[in-house]
Amino acid sequence: MIALASAALLLPLASFALLAALPQLRRGGLVAGVVSSAFALVSLTCATLLLLDVAAQPGMETGVAPVLWVRDWLPHAGTSLARLGVRVDGVSAGMTFIVSLVASAVQVYSLGYMAHEGKPSIGRYFAWQSLFLFAMLSLVLAPDLLQAFAGWELVGLCSYLLIGFYYQKPSAAKAAVKAFWVTKFADMGLLAGLVLMRWKLGTWEWDGIEPGPYVAAVALLIFVGAMGKSAQFPLHVWLPDAMEGPTPVSALLHAATMVAAGVYLIVRAFPIFEAAGPALQVLAYVGSLTAFIAACTAVVQDDIKKVLAYSTCSQLGYMVAGLGAGSAMAGYFHLTTHAFFKALLFLAAGAAIHAVHSNSIKDMGGLLRRLPGGAVLFITGALALMGIPGFSGFFSKDLILEVLEEEHLWVPFALCLASAGLTAFYMGRVIFVAYLGKPAHDTGKLHTPWVMAAPMAVLAVLAIFAGLLGPTVAGLVGGEYHFALSPAGIAALVFAFGGLGVAWFLYGGAPRTTFDFLAPVGAFIRSGPMDKLYETGWRSGLLVVAAAAGWWDRYIVDGLMNLTGWAVMEGGQRARRLQTGKAPDYVLVVVVALIVLAAWGLFSTGATAGVVGGAP
Amino acid sequence: MTGFPWLSLIVWAPFVAALTLLAIPSRSGNAVRLVSVVGAGISLAGTIAVALLYDHGSSGVQFREHMDLVPSLGIAYDLGVDGWGVSLLLLTGIIIFAGSWATWTLKDRHKEYYVLLLGLVTGVFGVFASLDLFVFFLYYELAVLPMYLLIGIWGSTKPVEAKGPFAFAYRLLKVGDKEYAAMKLTLMLLLGSAFILAGILTFYWAGGGTTFNMETLAEAKIPPTTQRWLFPCLWLGFGTLAGVFPFHTWSPDGHASAPTATSMLHAGVLMKLGAYGVIRVGMVMLPEGAQDWAAIVGAVAVINVVYGALSAMSQKDLKYIVAYSSVSHMGIVMLGAATLTVDGWNGAIFQMFAHGIMTGLFFALVGLVYEKAHDREVFRMGGFGKIAPGIAVFFTLACLSSLGMPGLSGFVAEFLVFLGAFGEHPVWAVGGILGAWITAVYVLRAVRAIFWGPGPDRERYPHMQDARGPEWVALCFLGACLILFGVFPRLVLDGIDSSTVVHLARVVGENIAQVTP
Repeated sequence: MIALASAALLLPLASFALLAALPQLRRGGLVAGVVSSAFALVSLTCATLLLLDVAAQPGMETGVAPVLWVRDWLPHAGTSLARLGVRVDGVSAGMTFIVSLVASAVQVYSLGYMAHEGKPSIGRYFAWQSLFLFAMLSLVLAPDLLQAFAGWELVGLCSYLLIGFYYQKPSAAKAAVKAFWVTKFADMGLLAGLVLMRWKLGTWEWDGIEPGPYVAAVALLIFVGAMGKSAQFPLHVWLPDAMEGPTPVSALLHAATMVAAGVYLIVRAFPIFEAAGPALQVLAYVGSLTAFIAACTAVVQDDIKKVLAYSTCSQLGYMVAGLGAGSAMAGYFHLTTHAFFKALLFLAAGAAIHAVHSNSIKDMGGLLRRLPGGAVLFITGALALMGIPGFSGFFSKDLILEVLEEEHLWVPFALCLASAGLTAFYMGRVIFVAYLGKPAHDTGKLHTPWVMAAPMAVLAVLAIFAGLLGPTVAGLVGGEYHFALSPAGIAALVFAFGGLGVAWFLYGGAPRTTFDFLAPVGAFIRSGPMDKLYETGWRSGLLVVAAAAGWWDRYIVDGLMNLTGWAVMEGGQRARRLQTGKAPDYVLVVVVALIVLAAWGLFSTGATAGVVGGAP
Repeated sequence: MTGFPWLSLIVWAPFVAALTLLAIPSRSGNAVRLVSVVGAGISLAGTIAVALLYDHGSSGVQFREHMDLVPSLGIAYDLGVDGWGVSLLLLTGIIIFAGSWATWTLKDRHKEYYVLLLGLVTGVFGVFASLDLFVFFLYYELAVLPMYLLIGIWGSTKPVEAKGPFAFAYRLLKVGDKEYAAMKLTLMLLLGSAFILAGILTFYWAGGGTTFNMETLAEAKIPPTTQRWLFPCLWLGFGTLAGVFPFHTWSPDGHASAPTATSMLHAGVLMKLGAYGVIRVGMVMLPEGAQDWAAIVGAVAVINVVYGALSAMSQKDLKYIVAYSSVSHMGIVMLGAATLTVDGWNGAIFQMFAHGIMTGLFFALVGLVYEKAHDREVFRMGGFGKIAPGIAVFFTLACLSSLGMPGLSGFVAEFLVFLGAFGEHPVWAVGGILGAWITAVYVLRAVRAIFWGPGPDRERYPHMQDARGPEWVALCFLGACLILFGVFPRLVLDGIDSSTVVHLARVVGENIAQVTP
């Protein structure tokens, strides 16, 4: 098992090293892509075998009997402070499979999508893709929180590099930097949690955490980190901007895997969260709030990638809410199904964007006729996302709403329910406007190359059937799962079909792309009030403080040094005047000095007592 | 330990190379460069050999050499290194080797430049290898003084507007001139040296007036009342070189005005001399003093980290950004030292090593950009990544190490320091972590401003291009080191750790087990 896990982990690293080191690959164009995809597919094979192995073994669920292989990494007074290695158990094996599957699909798809880029750019793209897969797996297979943190940061680096892939474009450059700054800000919390955990809990291991005074603090600090990476409100602002990256990147990092890392981390560290007690509910509230706000925002977006971005944000909120209800299974299950259908949605959207050379759904229309394969794939993913029965999303969303209801977390439950309706609404809107109806400009049928179609087909199959894997997933996480339609589930269905119905009413048939009286609200939301807030904090806050520090250092702190220098120079100039060259002046100095010294000598020895007053 | 005198080889190889250079005519440019690179290379080879031969099992001082110089005063040529010394010698070897390659394209009086540079690095090697305080100080001065000429002659001038309450002083001193930078650096460092000398003489007399040997004096029981004022003497004296706030202001102007290899050595190695002095001479030899003053040392260090990072963010000149970054990162070193914990000290020494390599890489790159673009104003640049991808990649690599990206050496250092900092004063850890974020902000802002975006403006930057030929050596060598020691930190950290245990035990006694997680 360790061999399979290590192979899955290290093959992408080898791919990255080859692409980075060999100019033939680095500047070779698609050959770099072929190498990278090949390594990814082998990694996927290992991951699949690993998962089958783990699922077949009894007792492999999380926390029971993990298989560990570690090497010492940092020393501490002769003992080991930190170690690196792999940990194989249900949760990590499952996630390894998901990550390598989506990554392989995306890389193969990229062979078609990125084919027109310049050769060195292609090499660069696939190098970062390989590095990302390695980094993500090092996080997934981490034996403790420290290695997870290392993988976490590296994944953030890859995100920065890939969002900024079109680095010559100012908006892309800005988006990449913004993503890094916001997630790094959240990572401060994670780092603090890491330090606190070592001091107060004595370990970085995932298991064996007893309830205690500092456990809640550690858990919440870890959650702060997850809030950044998984785009929870209010640290979600980087995710929509991240759409500046190539669409396959959006599919892989910013839908299926990297953003899910926060959710995964919480699942991984669930013993800490469970031991944290009532603090866990914070997750339910933050998650459901995120789900709702993001869904509202998605409603007014015209850019198809932005709709999907806010949708991702919303679904991540769902996952977090499920975790907050105390169910690792709920969060992990939705993570699984979401990875498949959201990646599918992005890749299919990529095909649509490719076809009309625009991201806006207003420029699309009638794609079902012009791009039938791509349209069917997109609609499949959309139905899964909406939670329509028969598709995977239905099962995982249902579970989240159920656990929220079981824990009597009514506000989160209500918010998630409303979000379900909104989700169906905005996805319905996209389907009706972009895929059904009449095209904006009719330019005939378009062809999707098989390198792009095949991965999407694989994802579509999973988007439909992954829901049936509920019991297997539960087995990995630890616990049981039986599907049963509960009142919560029925309510979800009502909201979903309701949302879809409203969308059909507004957009099916005669296209009316916005409610007129909601236009100001839409405009306000699209203007990005949260972004404006952060922008103000940056310009009027941090930059001003920095400028003040710089000014203070240059003109006050250094000023005092310069003042000293000036004083010495000026003092020297003044003191020079004593050296007049004239003997009488020197004699005067001698005489004055004599008087002063004599006076001091007399007064200090008390001889004056005899001289001035005193005894006869 | 009899055997091959590795330490003397390391210390004197550059000096011998410098003497050889005096005999070579300046017009044979390549001969000059070759001798310099070989001299640096011999030292580097020596430091690698020492690192490989060092026995981690017996953690004490090894590679000893002894020769009496002035027996009546107890001055001896005593060399020896422990785990700390090994890593710092290795750092110096790496930087001088890279630096001598980075100077390849210098044309104006390059022979004299190399002579001074090699003389300087002799001093640096000597400090790290010395076990006798007198000889230590001698080498220390040898490391500081050539800076004056190196900056004053080969440096660059950049006018600074005279503003603020002391503007009259700025006008008189001609702030911004390279001569000003050279003079300010030298005078401030000499002032620090004065305090150090006073401290060393106090050690000598308090230790009985018979020896300058560091190990013997460390055993001497210096009364705590003496330590109480002796420690700050040494802290501020050495601290001036280490960039301790508020005596750091020689550093930004010094770095900015200095030529490339000088900045590499200066920020990469020289500032570490100061920190090494604070820890090795100050803390280890004055346990009670260290404990009394630890809280203040730590608080000032946090100021260094955060204030330095904020100042870096306000800079528009690339060299000043990197210079203030050094001030901030040296704060991490002092913070780790102030924690008086195993992790803190391991982190402090490793940060000296990691930051040295990183800043050496930074200044090498800055030198290349300045040479080719003839400009240092970051916000006028843009799009350089298109025509200089190699420089862009290495610059980004250095930036990532600076902000603590795992996989690079900076992360290990900073993480260990944050871990150690939490124990006594959690607020220090918070300050350090905040500083790391601010670093990420200004460092990526610089990358974006210089290398990303449309462009480059070919009218303003007609000669901007990627690194060529020998220019790659320094970049690849330093970049490889950043990655190597980030992935395999134990290559040096094991040695550092074994020495930390020995030294820290002297300071905190039996509590060593309690002060860590």
